[in-house]
Amino acid sequence: MAVTVFIPTALRQFAGNQAEVSVEAGTVGEALDKVTGEHAELRRHLYGEQNALRNFVNVYVNDDDIRHAQRLETPLKDGDTISIIPAIAGGAATEAEVGTTSTVAAVELPTLSNDEIARYSRHLIMPEVGVEGQRKLKAARVLMIGTGGLGAPTGMYLAAAGVGTLGVVDFDVVDASNLQRQIVHGTKDVGRPKIESARDRLNDINPHVKIEAYETRLTSENALGLFREYDMVVDGTDNFPTRYLVNDACVLTGKPNVYGSIFRFEGQASVFWAARGACYRCLYPEPPPPGLVPSCAEGGVLGVLPGIIGAIQANEAIKLILGGGEPLINRLLLFDAWKLRFRELKLRKDPACPVCGENPTVKELIDYEQFCGLKPEPDAAQATAETEGGRMEEITAAELKQRIDRGDDLQLIDVREPNEYDIARIPNTKLIPLGQVTERMGEIDEERETVVHCKGGVRSARAIEALTRSGFKGKLINLKGGIIAWSNDVDPSVPKY
Amino acid sequence: MIKLDAELRAEIELHAEREYPRECCGLLVGRIVDEGRTRIIHATVPVANIFAEEGERYHRMAIEPLEYARAERHYAAEGLGVVGNYHSHPDHPAVPSQYDLEHLAPWPTMSYVVVSVREGEAVDLRSWELEADRSRFNEEEVSTGEET
Repeated sequence: MAVTVFIPTALRQFAGNQAEVSVEAGTVGEALDKVTGEHAELRRHLYGEQNALRNFVNVYVNDDDIRHAQRLETPLKDGDTISIIPAIAGGAATEAEVGTTSTVAAVELPTLSNDEIARYSRHLIMPEVGVEGQRKLKAARVLMIGTGGLGAPTGMYLAAAGVGTLGVVDFDVVDASNLQRQIVHGTKDVGRPKIESARDRLNDINPHVKIEAYETRLTSENALGLFREYDMVVDGTDNFPTRYLVNDACVLTGKPNVYGSIFRFEGQASVFWAARGACYRCLYPEPPPPGLVPSCAEGGVLGVLPGIIGAIQANEAIKLILGGGEPLINRLLLFDAWKLRFRELKLRKDPACPVCGENPTVKELIDYEQFCGLKPEPDAAQATAETEGGRMEEITAAELKQRIDRGDDLQLIDVREPNEYDIARIPNTKLIPLGQVTERMGEIDEERETVVHCKGGVRSARAIEALTRSGFKGKLINLKGGIIAWSNDVDPSVPKY
Repeated sequence: MIKLDAELRAEIELHAEREYPRECCGLLVGRIVDEGRTRIIHATVPVANIFAEEGERYHRMAIEPLEYARAERHYAAEGLGVVGNYHSHPDHPAVPSQYDLEHLAPWPTMSYVVVSVREGEAVDLRSWELEADRSRFNEEEVSTGEET
């Protein structure tokens, strides 16, 4: 049949600027295939994935919608006119949607003082930010979890950028070992609560920023109330229970979660926002078994790495506030500082996700210590482990010293890594790193009492469990608090790290 | 860029104010030049908001496809056609919403004009075009200049 296909004005440039194309075809589908066969670009604008017409594309034969006939199989007769007409619909954001284009789009924006205009001039002259963007930054409320390695650079850049209100949650105290990477704190701050030290530094960077400080642990009891007060959450935590807590609380309150994590030389970053894509649980439904992934305290971290990842988090938070650019939604950025390589993985929302999927089973916050297989006692260094057969035998550093001085026959096994052994050691110990402890079991004398230690007491407990499981018959005792306790209680000349 | 002279702009704003607190909608008729980068508007075509649920019309709009087809046919003889659309956001900014991105947005060659109406008065008119990968709207310049 000879029919005429009417090309909409908006697409004519993809069809050789023709308004009408005449083709011979028996059905609508055939006619469209013929027209778009010659114009690949035109096809891309009409057909989506799986070769289906895009949902906004209406096709009419004369004045009849093919949806009311046989769709693409609709038969044609000589002289028919096929019209391609887009469906156009729109509307202002509802309250629930306001957050989805820009996190602060519909809020009445505050004005900028002359001081602020001078301060932010490098932002203001870029159209992507401009006066309106800077006012959005001023109106924004960002909650940061942690002021450690990641929280330090994110906080400093967000404050410098003029984010109006920064909520900061931390309960920790500045320790000398933090200063290698937590650049928001200084030498003079050692021993101060991190929250106070961070507030002073952030206020110094930008006095226009309001700091709302929460000197508390983030818990399942306080997270929802806290998150509701903010536009988004920046996750700078270093442990799995808090990471899952942050994720779930973000999903339940509808807030974006600007995620970053670091270990040794490797970092990750993403934006988890259930309204627009995958959440952390879509990526990692279950936490790793306790102990499989060491913390930075155990495994170390290159000091500059959190600077890089934290700056990326600040970048993403700012883009979400501005409502522009391409956010890291549904993308996981992987960074290797040692090789200096960035990689990116595509993420997809998991319809079966227990918290953001189609039939969520997690509808309120749970006990995340338990979920991650940890004991309720959150301070890992203090945690007492139990073997399968019963309670593990422990000894304090002071008791160990007494027994050594008494001349008891003890063998000491250090299960840390060789580089840790180079930093600090207890005299007369044998080094067998945790990863080798079962294969080198033969080097441990079963006839003698054995005290096992590590840095804080967690890895040594794990070593004892592994040895027991592997059939070690001798008596194994865990040094409570590890070499740190030894340094604190017995020999202060042993450096703490 | 969209070229929209003061008279056409006033037509859009008046339509938006007349419909307040409901959303208005209409088509923009003209020509596309510069390989799809510039739209020169010659006429506005107000159309009825046919959004199915009447109670939602204060923040939702939909254009009857046959009105679109009629406008295309009517202006075809003059070498013109539908190159964009406009709608109002009563008491909301002149910024496309996520709903707009998902529903309003056929093709990146078109202009999407949004008028913000607050307390019955059109206070802002901005125009947007769709990113090639359909991921977002980018604001475009609204020029009042005469046709070049």
